[in-house]
Amino acid sequence: MASRRLPVYLLLDTSGSMKGEPIHAVNNGLQVLLSKLRQDPYALETVWISLITFDREVKQIVPLTDLESLLLPEVTTPDSGPTNMGAALELLLNVMRREVKTGAGDDKGDWRPLLFLMTDGKPSDLALFRSIVPKIRSYNFAMVVACAAGASAQDSFLKEITDTVVHLDTADSNTLTSFFKWVSASIGTGNQSVTSTEQLVLPPPPDEINMVI
Amino acid sequence: MAQTITLKAHDGTQVQYVDTGDPMQGGLKDVYFSPDRSYVVAFFRDKMSSADYSATKERLTTIVTTYRERIFNQAGGDYWKDLFCWPTKVVEYNGKIGIVAPVYQKHFFFTYGYNAAAAQIASIVGKEKEGKWFAAAQFRNPAFKLHLDKRELSDWFKYVLICLRIARAVRRMHAAGLAHSDLSYKNVLIDPTTGNAAIIDIDGLVVPGKFPPDVIGTPDFIAPEVMATKHLPKTDAGRKLPSINTDRHALAVMIYMYLLYRHPLRGGKVNDLDPQKDEELSMGQKALFVEHPTDATNRPKLNQVKPTQLPWADITKIPYSITGPYLKELFERAFITGLHNPMQRPTADEWENALIKTVDLMQPCQNVKCDQKWFVFDNSTRPKCPFCGTLYQGQLPILNLYAQRSPGKWTEEKHRVMVYHNQYLYPWHINRNIAPNEKLTPEQRKPVGYFVQHGGKWVLINQTMNSLKDVDQNKIIGPNEMVELTDGKKILLSADDGGRLVIVQLVTN
Repeated sequence: MASRRLPVYLLLDTSGSMKGEPIHAVNNGLQVLLSKLRQDPYALETVWISLITFDREVKQIVPLTDLESLLLPEVTTPDSGPTNMGAALELLLNVMRREVKTGAGDDKGDWRPLLFLMTDGKPSDLALFRSIVPKIRSYNFAMVVACAAGASAQDSFLKEITDTVVHLDTADSNTLTSFFKWVSASIGTGNQSVTSTEQLVLPPPPDEINMVI
Repeated sequence: MAQTITLKAHDGTQVQYVDTGDPMQGGLKDVYFSPDRSYVVAFFRDKMSSADYSATKERLTTIVTTYRERIFNQAGGDYWKDLFCWPTKVVEYNGKIGIVAPVYQKHFFFTYGYNAAAAQIASIVGKEKEGKWFAAAQFRNPAFKLHLDKRELSDWFKYVLICLRIARAVRRMHAAGLAHSDLSYKNVLIDPTTGNAAIIDIDGLVVPGKFPPDVIGTPDFIAPEVMATKHLPKTDAGRKLPSINTDRHALAVMIYMYLLYRHPLRGGKVNDLDPQKDEELSMGQKALFVEHPTDATNRPKLNQVKPTQLPWADITKIPYSITGPYLKELFERAFITGLHNPMQRPTADEWENALIKTVDLMQPCQNVKCDQKWFVFDNSTRPKCPFCGTLYQGQLPILNLYAQRSPGKWTEEKHRVMVYHNQYLYPWHINRNIAPNEKLTPEQRKPVGYFVQHGGKWVLINQTMNSLKDVDQNKIIGPNEMVELTDGKKILLSADDGGRLVIVQLVTN
């Protein structure tokens, strides 16, 4: 049977402030996410994941890959430096143009992609960020979730990208792990019973997360 | 941090569960274990309006009392304990409503999970055997890194038994006037190692005219008419909601998927370039059987199919007709004539009967390396395993069953029994008044004879049949005696009312 792919893009802040426990928590969280998804037969059939990190540099450290063959690299962070979130979103649009198949003729395209963006700060490249936001807004994502982790993360910028902003009070490993678990549950919602009232709903966030909508 | 919560259920009994703060999460419910892990307590997660709350409470209470009794407090009621994970009590706590249900039986959890090599990258040992694992082709393809251990996959015969049990359970619900409303491989646990199946998540039960459904189903299983009208308000006369008719669609999809490891409607046809709209059309208004005999537009395109979905995605290699004549006819009604015409869909009862008859057509594959190990006899003179292509070698006895409609007048029943070495004959084979279902007495569950290949000949050994007779020789075959199966031989299996006559056909290759 022709099964569509569900592209999932994870944009992760690796700026200097993430050094130490937060970046360890991110690495651990990604492992948890991957092992959860590998226990889900629906995800194994459809989900493809890509990782993009942003600090001073912006890199796609994992191109869009199926869960079976995905190898997680260690996510590292420089000692200090800016948070080039705008450049990351710009890179995202570029790679999606290449990686996401849109339906054409008699070829089934991919499902609309999901985007998860996590930061512990705010965009340093604000002008670029502001110029990219409308393009992200108008891109046909199935869901965009932005996550503000820790006290200095600013929800207001993230709200420019999406209405779904979750705020983590701390960026410690417990909180981030539960966030990544929640991400895996969100990726899986497409396969659950559809309520007779309406559409795809997010699973409730774990207790430590405050949903800022 | 874990604490034990003690509650009083609707019937006044005590219920306990351990709140770890991290419940297992289903689509709508949070699930906790009892301290001794003998039952679970599942709370509906979302806050409900007070009107919804009282409606839910009324429905759940009816499910655990009236409906439960309707099924379990009948002759053969105990039989259903293994086929349904039926909720037993209703509980309320902190403004939330929930149910108590038995834990799943041990065979519904993975023992080996993935193949040994995959253990390095992931493990599902101890996880529930949700049906999807066994309905998707890639998990049985060695080229897919995370394929399942062969011991978990088991053989094709077990999948026929699984389908039979599911059909039987659905037949029972429908006979009680209940619609499951969300049948899917998510809500049915299966165990291919034993051939068992159990229906779970029964709290969504719909009673026509009494309790409306709160889900429309799970993708892959939603009936076309429900999908096509889901945009209409619930009060619109044209809106179709889950019912017994839509359960029948879901049941047919499930049986097709467990026997052929592909979806009957997911083919190559693109109905809209937007994936969401395409999904709604392909599963709804424009739904089309991938194996439709005259409209080939939805055939899977093998150049677009992942190689790990093969050979199952190839409908020319493994067409639905390999499931045998009885199931073939029902698949045609479900996916051709009845796809957009709910009244024509086969009932669960028809599926159950067709599956029972199909069991009688099963043959073991002579290729010891065949992954499926069993196949359905194709009514040909040169039987061949459709899965591995091995031709049957040697003599193959086939029994054609006849029933007496009026004294001395025997008519063919369109029911054949394939014979294989060490196969048993049961009371429901020898008498047409006995049906193999939950109503069988313990005595009727015991074999009455068996077939063996003995000294180059096929023989039937009588164990407990008291009126077995070689009609050609007009000779009674007593218990512990045998009769040879030769071409054209007539054997009366029972002289009782409903007793059957067989005429032996011997195919030689």
